Amino acid sequence: MSHKTQGGFARPGFRTLTVGLLLAAAAWGLVSLDSQIEIFGFGASGPDARSFPRVALWLLAAVAALRLILCLRTEDTPLGLSRLGRVLTLTASCAAALWAIPHIGFFFGAAGVGIVVALVLGERRPLLLGLPLVIAAVVTFGGRYGLSIPLP
Amino acid sequence: MLVDAFLELLNIWVLVAALIGIVSGIIIGTIPGLGPTMAIALLIPVTFSMQPIPAIILLLGVYQGAIFGGSISAVLLNVPGTPSSAATAIDGFAMARRGEGGRALRFALYASVFGNIFSCFVLMALAEPLARFALDFGPAEMAMLMLFALLVIVIFGGGSKLDALIMVLVGACAGIVGLDPISGTPRFTFGSFAFENGFQLIPVLIGLFAMAEVLMQAFDREPLVGDVQVPPLKSSVVRFAEVWRMRVTLLLSSIIGTFVGILPGIGSTVPAFMSYNLARSRSKDAEQFGKGAPEGVAAPEAANNAVTGGALVPTLALGIPGDAVTAVILGAFMLHGLAPGPFLFRDHGLEVYAIFEALLLSSIPTVILGLMFFRVAIHVTRIQPRHLLPAITILAVFGAFSVNNSLFDVWVMLGAGVLGFLFRRANFPLPPLLIGLILGAPFEQSLRQALLTSGGSYGIFVGSPITLGLMALIVLCVLISLALDIRKART
Repeated sequence: MSHKTQGGFARPGFRTLTVGLLLAAAAWGLVSLDSQIEIFGFGASGPDARSFPRVALWLLAAVAALRLILCLRTEDTPLGLSRLGRVLTLTASCAAALWAIPHIGFFFGAAGVGIVVALVLGERRPLLLGLPLVIAAVVTFGGRYGLSIPLP
Repeated sequence: MLVDAFLELLNIWVLVAALIGIVSGIIIGTIPGLGPTMAIALLIPVTFSMQPIPAIILLLGVYQGAIFGGSISAVLLNVPGTPSSAATAIDGFAMARRGEGGRALRFALYASVFGNIFSCFVLMALAEPLARFALDFGPAEMAMLMLFALLVIVIFGGGSKLDALIMVLVGACAGIVGLDPISGTPRFTFGSFAFENGFQLIPVLIGLFAMAEVLMQAFDREPLVGDVQVPPLKSSVVRFAEVWRMRVTLLLSSIIGTFVGILPGIGSTVPAFMSYNLARSRSKDAEQFGKGAPEGVAAPEAANNAVTGGALVPTLALGIPGDAVTAVILGAFMLHGLAPGPFLFRDHGLEVYAIFEALLLSSIPTVILGLMFFRVAIHVTRIQPRHLLPAITILAVFGAFSVNNSLFDVWVMLGAGVLGFLFRRANFPLPPLLIGLILGAPFEQSLRQALLTSGGSYGIFVGSPITLGLMALIVLCVLISLALDIRKART
């Protein structure tokens, strides 16, 4: 696919990707609407539990499709795959930490993710890399004993 | 009521909460990239164990402090700490470059306080009568009102109307997940109990405004503020007479800020620029604007601070948030058992008036702390968000978990963060999404209740003077929008 040309197609970027995802989600919602929402008819008139979601999803699909057409004909923000890699790394490490928290506890999970964030953001100074450990300890202690929150 | 409410404030924790809130707000607002919305979303879980009054005062203190704090980096670095301070930077930075940074910040501070006081009085005067009027609203009226609010966000929210409409619909669709508000049928719950409560507001807010910011910074990784030379901050004085000379500008700017703030979804950037332009058009020294005119600093600051009180009017009286920050504050009110809406003043009048009075009185510590923080602020502006982002991530995980002590909410927060990142990178506005999420479910509920009442007849939506009036307003808004679009296309 070529870069933006007059009246032609632009290289897909963030807007195209986001709108494409929204359109796909709205379409999936419409397809699975009947299986995801069961109706128990009690003879009531007017809209049921499926009516509002159906209208909202159709509208979303329509406006997302319109935006997608417009996006494909205009300049888009480039994805920047290497930079996107950092975001994916961070998201994956957050997901891994969340998955691990029930096993290793809040402190280690939160501190780990904090250190990964610092590293991804380019921090290399040992003192600042150790800071998430201190913050996680303060938050864990304060949450458990100050706010009585049963952290894992 | 007012005296009883004032007595509620005679509590050391209220003062402590206000001071902590204002100081935190000024610091957070000063750091470019960290806004009041994120700060309040992250601080909500900290207030769980607090009484409602100090908890809300702390959060409102952050709001007030951050709006003023945004002007510090705008004046000293020409980098607005918050988007609403962009107008302040035009003349503020020009003043700072000629060695009048201290004076610019003082004008900004006094104008901020003026705008805040004015909007607080409007809030106190309008919110309760509006809530009392809304007590007469039935489901049809509430549905029309919410439709009007959603439409205003789409039409007048700024930027592309199509993008705003997409975001409102995304929010409304996200609000579908959970139990049906009328029949209790599970909708898009995938057979999971965790989904039956739907997406909780606070984890979504933390994801959209805190986690998304972390991901944005990971993507950009360039400092928002480079090695900018901060102009010297000389000792300076602003005399009362100088402020008095701009009283009309301050008043008009406050009126603009307050009444634009009442309209949902517009935020504080638009009124700040509107006030700036008005002040310039009224000024005898219009050519000085852009070169360091004190009125060019005061006008936008009065307006963007006046938005605080204005945006709280529909938030508290009708449960319709005025902007992203008030949507977060609405979430905080709900968590503390003070559900905003017509019943708030009837059921929790004492607490609400105590909060109003605290908002008004907090102008005093704002002035004192603001004056104290001018010089400290120079050092604060050097803090890069990346130094704070690991802490923000940890607080985001903690905050999302602590709402229901559930890891499911943390997954929701992470998902909202990824979506927020995509939307922000793709230049989609987040406030319409948030307001769509908040209003989507009650809009559906009111709509269906109204139709159940009328036996399925849509005539109920034109059956009362209130619904007719709201419908007329909707038509008027659409016509105004069309007229503006046509005029824009011609010019």
